[in-house]
Amino acid sequence: MPARCTLIVAVACFALPSAARAADPLHTRIDKHIDTGFGDLKKHAAPRAGDEEFLRRVYLDLTGTTPATAELYRFLADSAGDKRTKLIDELLAGPGYARRMAWHFDVMLMERRPDSKVPRPAWEAYLRTAFADNKPYNALVREVLASDGSDPKVRAAAKFLLDRDLEPHLVTRDIARVFLGRNVQCAQCHDHPTISDYKQADYYGIQAYLSRSFLFPNAQAPTAVIAEKAEGDVTFMSVFDKNKTLNSTRPRMPGGKPADEPKVEKGKEYKVAPAANVKPEPAYSRRARLADAVTGADNPAFARNAVNRVWALMMGRGLVHPLDMDHGDNPPSHPELLDELAAAFVSHGYDLKWLVREIALSDAYQRSSETPAGLDDPPAEKYLVAVLKPLTPEQFAYAVMQATGHTDAERAALSKLGPKATEEALDARLAARLAPFRNVLGRGGEAGADTFSSTLDQTLFLKYGGAVRGLLPPRAGNLADRLGKITNPDAAADELFAAVLARRPTADERKDVADALRGTKDRQTTINELVWALVASAEFRFNH
Amino acid sequence: MLPCDYACRSADHTVSRRAFLGTALGATAALGAAGFANPLAAQQLAKTQKRVLVIFLSGGVSQLETWDPKPNTDTGGPFKAIQTSATGTRVCELLPHTAKQMHRIALVRSLNSQTDDHGIGEQVMLTGRKPEAGITYPHIGAVSARLLGGSDSALPGHIQILPKGGSGFGGRDAAFLGPKFASVSLGDGKPPADLFRPGNLGPAEDDERERFRKKLNDRFAKSRKSAATDAYTESFAQADRVVKQAAVFDVEKEPARVADRYGRHDLGRHFLLARRLLEAGVTYVKVSHSNYDTHHENFDFHIEQLGEFDRPFAALLDDLADRGMLDSTLVVVMSEMGRTPHINDRYGRDHWGKAWSVALAGAGIKGGAVIGKTNANGTAVVDREVLTGHLFHTYLRAVGLDSTKSFYPNERPVPIADPKTAAIPEVLA
Repeated sequence: MPARCTLIVAVACFALPSAARAADPLHTRIDKHIDTGFGDLKKHAAPRAGDEEFLRRVYLDLTGTTPATAELYRFLADSAGDKRTKLIDELLAGPGYARRMAWHFDVMLMERRPDSKVPRPAWEAYLRTAFADNKPYNALVREVLASDGSDPKVRAAAKFLLDRDLEPHLVTRDIARVFLGRNVQCAQCHDHPTISDYKQADYYGIQAYLSRSFLFPNAQAPTAVIAEKAEGDVTFMSVFDKNKTLNSTRPRMPGGKPADEPKVEKGKEYKVAPAANVKPEPAYSRRARLADAVTGADNPAFARNAVNRVWALMMGRGLVHPLDMDHGDNPPSHPELLDELAAAFVSHGYDLKWLVREIALSDAYQRSSETPAGLDDPPAEKYLVAVLKPLTPEQFAYAVMQATGHTDAERAALSKLGPKATEEALDARLAARLAPFRNVLGRGGEAGADTFSSTLDQTLFLKYGGAVRGLLPPRAGNLADRLGKITNPDAAADELFAAVLARRPTADERKDVADALRGTKDRQTTINELVWALVASAEFRFNH
Repeated sequence: MLPCDYACRSADHTVSRRAFLGTALGATAALGAAGFANPLAAQQLAKTQKRVLVIFLSGGVSQLETWDPKPNTDTGGPFKAIQTSATGTRVCELLPHTAKQMHRIALVRSLNSQTDDHGIGEQVMLTGRKPEAGITYPHIGAVSARLLGGSDSALPGHIQILPKGGSGFGGRDAAFLGPKFASVSLGDGKPPADLFRPGNLGPAEDDERERFRKKLNDRFAKSRKSAATDAYTESFAQADRVVKQAAVFDVEKEPARVADRYGRHDLGRHFLLARRLLEAGVTYVKVSHSNYDTHHENFDFHIEQLGEFDRPFAALLDDLADRGMLDSTLVVVMSEMGRTPHINDRYGRDHWGKAWSVALAGAGIKGGAVIGKTNANGTAVVDREVLTGHLFHTYLRAVGLDSTKSFYPNERPVPIADPKTAAIPEVLA
């Protein structure tokens, strides 16, 4: 029996020489698809990133911050062949993962809009718990779309709807964009003029799930919850239709079948009938079906969008790009890979941590960001070279605090609390320092801002602002303090580059540091400004 | 935020600055960055580079006490109408200095902005659109900065001077145009945050750390050059240029007699700052004057408020004209709405968007023109109703842009101005 199995596998392998095999781990299949997408890839692609490059990248991606100096040296000294896999698993098991993912999904879902009905701390705690528990993605989204805000335990989950004031067009647009990868905004007024897949009826099909819902007692109340009426249908007409035909649709997902709706007997439409100051409850709730419709197996756009967004998070660019432009005229760069990721994600129970791990293990992820000689302007969608990812405001703040020694100092102070010295407690201590970075670097978080820009205020903030400069001066044990005590210039350069850029300096860089330290009248000031120069460098600004 | 890539530069999907420029500007635009090295070219550019100045009388100025007086009627209030430098055009006697500028000013007296709400009113006046769920339209300031601003301009292209508060950056008024074109706010005319080198950082250290940072960047860029790293590097160069021009933000540099002409009060100082910014090449400046929300004692309030506005406004127009900048600078005096013709029992006027006025001057505007008409006591438009969309088209046309083009955020067309409306030809020179 075993021999026969082997034979079957062997035959299968033989029959499909280049195709990915389901028996392979996903990361192997990822690489096969990427290789297939570019003939002769191995010859052109950048080699595997060095240990330093990999370490910084994977720390930023999986924990939200850069590694401590000790981590760098430990990793460099480790000669085990599987040390990268071990590190990825370590980081995924650590507390930084939940923090990083909570940051990411907060921005993806809320796009840095100001708080309206659900305060930020409750929302952050909700997300963090979800990622710490590795809640399946479909379960998370189900909660986000199904919670009406009345149960205090899961009110935070309703932030997506509540903080958009349940505004029908805004909610329709954002459900389509964020969960389905389809920016159907144009279809509010007519079928999309240039994208044949985006129909006005699709738009109103989504809206129909929520068009009977409203905020109770009213949209202005900060404690409002979502209530629903028993009747009301969406109607629409195209602004291009000269006959002004009025259309209607039952709730449905784009391209899907309309929901089967029960016939409700006259007089029995409500469980709780509407009355003054009474929150009505219909016998049949359209809204209750929204979460199932979005996350259901018969809506393939859901998993497809999810894996595309996680791919973009890790790889710096979506297979479908822009992320919310999934339609027939904008095919994915690697269609089979996208299908395979989506199918594997579903069969793995929408396990985000597993998906992140598999991508992190792939050669495509671990490729260097250095463009190999002779390869000018490599097309980003081929993944020949690792794509540079600008640090998010949160990553940037945490990396600065890590680099300057502030995080370690806070951690040391916290350790006196014993078991209460959790990563959450540390984050609470760092929150005040994070705020200005979020505030200044986080602008432009809204839809469509997928190109990097560095505005004047951001640059002045980095140059002269107190948030960065306040971290530079020496304090017991911090970077400037340590550097001040190192007399050998080479050793000072090593410490500086390890702490800030998580790498060893080149010979030229050692010489530059030595020259700067030798020539100065005020050694400590020069040290502070060297730290600043590294923090303000392009190398620090990007996850590369 | 994902990195830009060099590849996505399809001509169809980019709004080209030059494509928007009228023929008059084509030659200057073609000079490009190199033109700046030549002082003559720079001078030429100062004359031809189009700019926009919006004066926002916030709270809702009364059209009856300004541009469309109705003396001796049941709604007219106590003030007279006076002759102006534009034959046949009369304005309220609260604007004696402005009256002498009317040959430079066009009035639209038939605006129906269709809202009596402060927040929505401000939005419709600055975007030329009714609010729509699901899309935020950029303000005229962001649109101007985007379409008129040179990419190599040292100063931010979209600045607003607010009566109060500290300086701040980046409202969401640029919408899909991106934070680069969002407003920089100068509260009470204070300079931008972090503009000045902190005291504990000497100039020598500042230079040294910049040199070190540049060295690092050059090495990094050798193998990892991208549009994103270029943008990051360029932002430091831009910050340097702004820091070097920090004096532009300092009104104290103006001679005392100039400051006297503008008036020794906040609005005078803010107008003077606006002129300095426009002169230094800022594409769009908005100055807000508060607060015209006069539900009671409307007339006393307008005596006071317009008294503050009138003289520096006239001085500003004179200065722009003397410097040869008025021909290239569009000036708009607007508000979020007008005030009711009906005078309430507290001698106040309430919110009124149905029939009120806006004043325009400078670039592309026919001085002395009067467009539209309200009835005898100002309660309704009787001729040439104008919507905010018409005004928005007009602003763009006045500075030489084709207002019927579209932006392409996410590769889908969004008309720059409301396609259901068009420019007002009678007001364009």
